[in-house]
Amino acid sequence: MRGISWQGLAVAFGALGLLTSLQTSDDDNPHARAPRGVSLVVTEGAYLRAPGADWFAERAKAEPGRFTHDATLAGGIGGWVDAKGEYWFVEMEEGEWVYNQWASPERLTAGRRDFVQFCSSCHGLEGDGYGRSAQHLRPTPRSFQQNKFKFTKVIADLPSDEALLAVIRRGLAGTPMLPWDLSDVQLLDIIQYIKSLSPEESGWRDVYSQVGDAIEVTEDPWVDIKERAIVRGREVYHGAASCHLCHPGYVTNEELRVIRKDPEGTTYRENLTYPALKDSEYEVLGRATKVMPPDFTWHQLRAGITTADLFQTIASGIKGTAMPQWKGALPDEDLWALAHYVEDLIVSYKDQRPERSAFMGGLRTSGDNR
Amino acid sequence: MSMLKTLLPSFALLRSRWLGCPLALMLTSTWALAQDKRWGPGEPASDYGDRFYDLFWLITILVSVAFALVVVLLVIPVLRDRARPGHRASFDHGKSLHDKRLTAIISIVTFIVLDAWVLVIAMKDLREAYWAIPDAKDPQTYRVEVLAQQWAWNFRATGVDGEFGTADDILTINELVVPLNRPVSFNMTSKDVIHALFLPEMRLKRDVNPGAINEAWFKPIKEGDFTILCAELCGFAHYQMYGKLVVLEQGQFNEWEAEASRLASTAFDADDTEAHWAWDWQE
Repeated sequence: MRGISWQGLAVAFGALGLLTSLQTSDDDNPHARAPRGVSLVVTEGAYLRAPGADWFAERAKAEPGRFTHDATLAGGIGGWVDAKGEYWFVEMEEGEWVYNQWASPERLTAGRRDFVQFCSSCHGLEGDGYGRSAQHLRPTPRSFQQNKFKFTKVIADLPSDEALLAVIRRGLAGTPMLPWDLSDVQLLDIIQYIKSLSPEESGWRDVYSQVGDAIEVTEDPWVDIKERAIVRGREVYHGAASCHLCHPGYVTNEELRVIRKDPEGTTYRENLTYPALKDSEYEVLGRATKVMPPDFTWHQLRAGITTADLFQTIASGIKGTAMPQWKGALPDEDLWALAHYVEDLIVSYKDQRPERSAFMGGLRTSGDNR
Repeated sequence: MSMLKTLLPSFALLRSRWLGCPLALMLTSTWALAQDKRWGPGEPASDYGDRFYDLFWLITILVSVAFALVVVLLVIPVLRDRARPGHRASFDHGKSLHDKRLTAIISIVTFIVLDAWVLVIAMKDLREAYWAIPDAKDPQTYRVEVLAQQWAWNFRATGVDGEFGTADDILTINELVVPLNRPVSFNMTSKDVIHALFLPEMRLKRDVNPGAINEAWFKPIKEGDFTILCAELCGFAHYQMYGKLVVLEQGQFNEWEAEASRLASTAFDADDTEAHWAWDWQE
């Protein structure tokens, strides 16, 4: 052991250094050539809004005095923090009357704090539905200045606190709206704050708006005779309710003609087995967007896929879209039959690739409805 | 034998609940976790997955052996030379140049054997697998643009026309369908904060940064459903930011792609330019 010299150690260290440096030549390392800070070119030549410090500055300029800056909160809460580590937060000084219900300043402050932390990345700091993470997102996150909600299962103009709570707790499947497992107190505070975002004289600040609970789940008349419900549902879907005008038709042209009792030679919309894009009232940056009615054998449904969920969704309709309220337009019996039919489509074909392609393929080859 | 006699009374220490309880808890919980497959890294499902498995076990074994050795070498003198009547503490060796050299040599040899061994293999793996991003012009390469956000994964594939930014681009949220046995190449960026794309069964993990495009790739060799996770704490709902990776055999994949592409063109709204977010592929 005495024979080993310090020079030997130096050589060993040098060899180790060489060994590591061998690996980092830029020529054969694509990692080193990865672009840094590139501008993302969007198809139309516009630029993706790369998140930057200006973003908040612009927003704050539009409404001076609304935001105050508190960096300690950013560290303490660890919520939505922007690139500079800033966190915009304000104490609510005044309470609000929202739909004849007094929300205290403390409650609104708590609601706002949680809203900023949990909701604002998509729904925006002012609740305009255009937060930083909402860019390019379709369907768009709800704007709380518009006061329209798609999946609350409510017939009245506006959902009650309970109906909103249910939506937030359930989340919207297939979208970034998550099932939120916050406490009831937190969620109800957030809801009060959301309601206070209504513009003057509209939404919850319009005393003439109707506020209602989710539609009642009536007794299912088909509970022991599902097969008959599915047959009836198929007739209603393609007949009285004409669902196939927006959603796909799950029959051939010939079958559709028989169901609708149309004369021989009647033609139906092109691409009958595909959904048709529809206008909606939901705006982003002042422009109305379109929505896609789901193909039940392909797309994920937002508001639950149990028979009761489907009944409620069909009965109440989907606000702001082409899906009307069916309660009252059709007897409850037919609504339940529709729910059973749609549930059957989902169970039989959604995510069942071979079964689905056999079913849809069969429809498409047997007629002129491709 | 005399050594064992010296050590024996020390085992009484283990009977003390202050040492025994945590030790027993540690051992049983480690054993219990090891029984459950969900806690392990699982079987690799990508062609370079074995490399990571091998390296993982190499490091685990080397570190375990080194740890056990060090603990034994530490514990023996601590127990043998513990305070007892008739013995006074004093340094009797360790101060000579010879001893210092010996210590240095042992450390360096350990360092070279353990760390350099792992380092060389790791560098080889990085160069031959992780950084060997497939050629995007090769039609075999399946390209996917990933746009991460709080708290979801947006995926964009080219659709049947093979070009980004067209009406038939397949857009999915939290679900990615890829073909079996073909390299899948990612271009990834984020709308808001730093995320990390993590496909545990594919042994792929890479940060997704706002304002930059990061690349990553893998080649699935097993059909089935796998996991997509976010591996970078990105806010309150980070734990809910997960999705499903579906690997389909080529025939089934083609069928899926044709249908998804067709439905995508139906949903495409040419006037809604804010919704079009594809970028030119970066290599």
